[in-house]
Amino acid sequence: MADRDIQMNVNGLALKVNSGPGRTLLSALREDLGLIGAKDGCSQGDCGACVVLLDGQAVNSCMVLAPQAQGRDILTVEGLAENGVLHPLQRAFGETWAFQCGFCTPGMLMSCYALLSSNDEPSREEILTAISGNFCRCTGYQAVVKAVQQAAAEIRASSSGDGEQGRAPA
Amino acid sequence: MSTPQYVAPESLEDALRIKSESGADARLVAGGTDLILRMRDRVFTPKLLLDLRRVPLTAISCTAGEMRIGSYATLSQILAHDEIANLFPALVEACRPFAGPPIRNRATIGGNIVNASPAADLVPPLMAYDANIVLSSISGDRELPLAEFFTGPGQTVIEPDEILTEVRLPLMPPDSAASFIKLGQRRSMAISIVNLCTRLSLAADGTVATARIVLGAVAPTPLRAVAAEAVLAGNDITTALLDEAAQQASRESMPISDVRASGSYRKRMTAVLVRRALSAAWGELGRNNSNG
Amino acid sequence: MSESNVVGQWVPATGAGDIVTGAARYCPDIDLPGLLTGKLLYSPHARARIRKLDVSAARQIPGVFAVLTQADIPGENNYLYSQADQPLLAIDEVRFQGDAVAAVAALDEATADAALRAIQVEYEVLDGIFDPLVAMKAGADQLVEGEDNIIMNQVYRTGEVEAALASADVIVENTYRTQWAEHAFLETEGGVALVDEEGVVTVYSSCQAPHRDRMQIARTLAMPESMVRVITPYIGGAFGGKDEAHVQMHAALLAVAAGRPVRLIRGRRESILTHVKRHPIIIHCITAATREGRLLAVKARAIADAGPYHNATHEVMNKFGEFIGGPYSVQNLEVETIAVRTNNPIGGAFRGFGAPQAAFVYESQMDDLARKLEIDPLELRLLNGVETGTKMYTGVVVREGQAMKASLRKAAEKIGWEKRDQCERQPAPHLRRGWGMATILKGSGMGRGLGDHAGVVLEMHRDGSVVLLSGAADMGQGIITILAQMAADRLGVPMSSVRAVRADTSRTPDAGSSCASRQCMVSGNAVLAAANSIRDSLLSVAAGKTKISRDRLDLRDGRLQVDSEPHALTIEELARRALFWGYPLHAESKYHFEYPADVPAGDYRFSQEVFQFCTQIAQVLVDVETGQVTVERLIAVHDAGKMINPGGVYGQIEGGCAQGIGYALTEELIVNEGRTLNPSLENYVIPMALDIPEMEMDVLEIPEPVGAPLGAKGIAESPIIPTAPAIRNAILDAIGKPLYQLPMSAERVLTALDG
Repeated sequence: MADRDIQMNVNGLALKVNSGPGRTLLSALREDLGLIGAKDGCSQGDCGACVVLLDGQAVNSCMVLAPQAQGRDILTVEGLAENGVLHPLQRAFGETWAFQCGFCTPGMLMSCYALLSSNDEPSREEILTAISGNFCRCTGYQAVVKAVQQAAAEIRASSSGDGEQGRAPA
Repeated sequence: MSTPQYVAPESLEDALRIKSESGADARLVAGGTDLILRMRDRVFTPKLLLDLRRVPLTAISCTAGEMRIGSYATLSQILAHDEIANLFPALVEACRPFAGPPIRNRATIGGNIVNASPAADLVPPLMAYDANIVLSSISGDRELPLAEFFTGPGQTVIEPDEILTEVRLPLMPPDSAASFIKLGQRRSMAISIVNLCTRLSLAADGTVATARIVLGAVAPTPLRAVAAEAVLAGNDITTALLDEAAQQASRESMPISDVRASGSYRKRMTAVLVRRALSAAWGELGRNNSNG
Repeated sequence: MSESNVVGQWVPATGAGDIVTGAARYCPDIDLPGLLTGKLLYSPHARARIRKLDVSAARQIPGVFAVLTQADIPGENNYLYSQADQPLLAIDEVRFQGDAVAAVAALDEATADAALRAIQVEYEVLDGIFDPLVAMKAGADQLVEGEDNIIMNQVYRTGEVEAALASADVIVENTYRTQWAEHAFLETEGGVALVDEEGVVTVYSSCQAPHRDRMQIARTLAMPESMVRVITPYIGGAFGGKDEAHVQMHAALLAVAAGRPVRLIRGRRESILTHVKRHPIIIHCITAATREGRLLAVKARAIADAGPYHNATHEVMNKFGEFIGGPYSVQNLEVETIAVRTNNPIGGAFRGFGAPQAAFVYESQMDDLARKLEIDPLELRLLNGVETGTKMYTGVVVREGQAMKASLRKAAEKIGWEKRDQCERQPAPHLRRGWGMATILKGSGMGRGLGDHAGVVLEMHRDGSVVLLSGAADMGQGIITILAQMAADRLGVPMSSVRAVRADTSRTPDAGSSCASRQCMVSGNAVLAAANSIRDSLLSVAAGKTKISRDRLDLRDGRLQVDSEPHALTIEELARRALFWGYPLHAESKYHFEYPADVPAGDYRFSQEVFQFCTQIAQVLVDVETGQVTVERLIAVHDAGKMINPGGVYGQIEGGCAQGIGYALTEELIVNEGRTLNPSLENYVIPMALDIPEMEMDVLEIPEPVGAPLGAKGIAESPIIPTAPAIRNAILDAIGKPLYQLPMSAERVLTALDG
């Protein structure tokens, strides 16, 4: 059993990758599934550019062995928009300039999405804590706080109102 | 990376059997946060990766006068556990600044212990709370004090066929308080320059019945400053006594210099932070008493 | 005309949609049929002679397509930033830990790694040269035999320094030390090379200067530049660290040799070990003043550790010398800048080109002077600050200088400078609070004596859509976004109608490097000229069609405007008519910033002429038992001339401040005998989200009269420059002890407290 198929539920699709056990989830996503959103910034869990959700929890995909994802739910940045409609977080990141080069953004978005899944009105401190494993060298983090609060407000408004705009995170 | 085999057994029995057959050739996969790095750097070249995520080792329960934490419980799990926060708050305080959320979601209490890093953040509070650990093998379990586990950086008394399965914390006597302090170069994603935990448990007459001062990152292994503890034991707490214990703890430390700090800085910080941690614990006892 | 609905607006960055969905492709994301993995073998030694280099075993490994050494390079085996002294692949000696020795291309990463391990190199380790103060002495061991280790020794003088020093009432004299600092762009250096169907060597390059990369690749391959194409995909940050080429030439060599596309990406460790660093400099500085606080003279001597190769050392040290007097009207100044070769990391370009080191010195000197004179630091700066019309010590006359004092006053007002003593200075027995300021100027552009130009091509189609072709690399700073905004504004179309193409040397004209805060100025002006020419066509058509005089017409919101009211004619219709009647809707423009033809004797040759001013004020809390410093507040007031896009401007300021906090407190590459001890993001400590205070930013918009498109000027470099001295001065205010070395680590603060 040097190689074997690993089945994962990635962005709602049941996908199979054939992967040696030494490979990481990040490399399986990028190389086998073409999901290049998650980035390799350091290969050792220091930067958070590779953050995806594993069963709803933010993890550094460079620190997860591919077989550890067997049978589990993976959400990557590619899975945030639905039917071509951006998630409020994605839109807010663009509108508030929560990035410049954008290399940290996929991981940053996933950490923020994980936060909003359990907290629809996060404080500045809670947001900063949620992204305290995500390194940004261009912009810093203040604009991310603004983006997350803007998105959270939008999500709250849509879930308390007629729910036509935006959608609450799973 | 070389290509080891990978197994994820369904039961602890299967896991222990595989471990007994493969011994040191099999590496446990937990959070993977250190393992993957060491495999990439070829520090480890395991023939077999043993993933225990199907094995129920993540339970946290409080029974019969002790708290039991499965070795695969993640730091996030511990952080979110109200009972641990009530009974062993210093352990939670050690989890809070640990790396960042993505690492806390993966890193396990067992991994933090077994890696035997001198700077492991969870070990000082666990030792201050007199934690025991359970090492399991097919021939049975053995329980030993965590304080007896480490023999050097990355070195422990674990046998090749053993798996760390559980951490056990005795409930603290009344009038106990503990305080954890981490000194790092930033507020997240920082390896500790010094981390430490102190615990004071008072006797009925208000003197110190038990004192624990456990220092991290200032010795080859997490270190109980036993002479400093002895300074406190049996005495009434005064500011001067805390200072004396702090100075003694600093003398017991034997830090090295590295890229994060010099040995002399660590030694000096040991005194400063032990005093702060003792004062915090003492302050909390005072508050508890005035409330009660 | 009413206010623009594009320029000055928070328009999302061009490409934001791709970035937030993960679709944006950076070099590591580029995949091609048959793509190979490229890797470089680096020297493990700081200095060693290569006795033997045997790659035969590596070439035998199945799946290895190319293994190259210096002998396999058809053209020039060197980088060419300023001088061609750094080999791409070492020849007979390695001179620092980042020298590459061999290059491989293989089917996958594991095979490439195996090939690297199979390469046999026999080194004779030599005694390295690690201390610039030793290396600069006569008779010192020479890094390059027969050449002096001192690669730069330049003295610049203005006025009568010695006489001014002799007449001064007060003198402040100190020695400062700065550290190696790492850019830590989140995307490491990378290049993807292929030979296309026409034989053109095409390289996707994570870079700042695509046209200069093209030149370097061509001369390495010994091919004409016409057969080389450089494309910039999305780029994950640069900050000066990708100004010089890195692995592009190696990738091209491998692709040609292997006959297959090659992707070569540096790992984080390699990245930190190999690319240039902000120079560590030892600076001795004397500042003299009258008892009223008027600056009389500055005399400085700076010794920089250049590492083994020239790279941008001259450029960096020139800027250091240009800015050592600060934004002050000091008329007697002497600065000696010396750079010394060592076997340490290479010094090079990093946001600010020597200005951050200079600012740490002159702004620290100002506060030391203020204390000695018992003058408020704000008053001392206001007393000496340049104004519009001030002739600087460099000979340059400040064209628009209001922002110097305006930014000081605004920052002081925002933090409550006058009332700071009402705030608790000792909130706990072990804590001390303090406030410190720093104000700086930094020029935009290449400087006198250097070509400073950029081209752009703009085309409007019959449907009113626009393509903007600029060779300015966008590394995240947002240059193509603001260029598109300027074009949209002049052409009256929405941003969605302008497609700005990322730099591609086969399509986009040369804009020079995206460095020195220059692109807004040069490329911005080029875009305005091109857009105005197309606008002219559209308005001519409109005037002809409506019979209304041109001066009543405008273009906005996709329509013709008559007397600022929308007209039935759309831009689309105007474009269709213009093309039908043969009016040009295609414009190429080249902007050249005009420096004086002759720099007067005594004036500083490379001086920049358009200045960014800014003031930052820090409030810090110092733990006097641990030495730890917390930045509680940071006020940043910057002058942008005119904000084309506030989102980008605030992003640059916030990001620069964050880098500045790191530079001040924790960031330091620790190098021992040429070996870098902390080549990781774990141990090179950069501030994370919880380490940054809530920044209080303000932007002044005082239009720049010359060379600034719509009044806008560059903002990129200035934010990082005042942060470290502002924090240093706040620490001084808090604990009463000055620090003279960066970073101001907890340990150094404690040492200062002990002293």
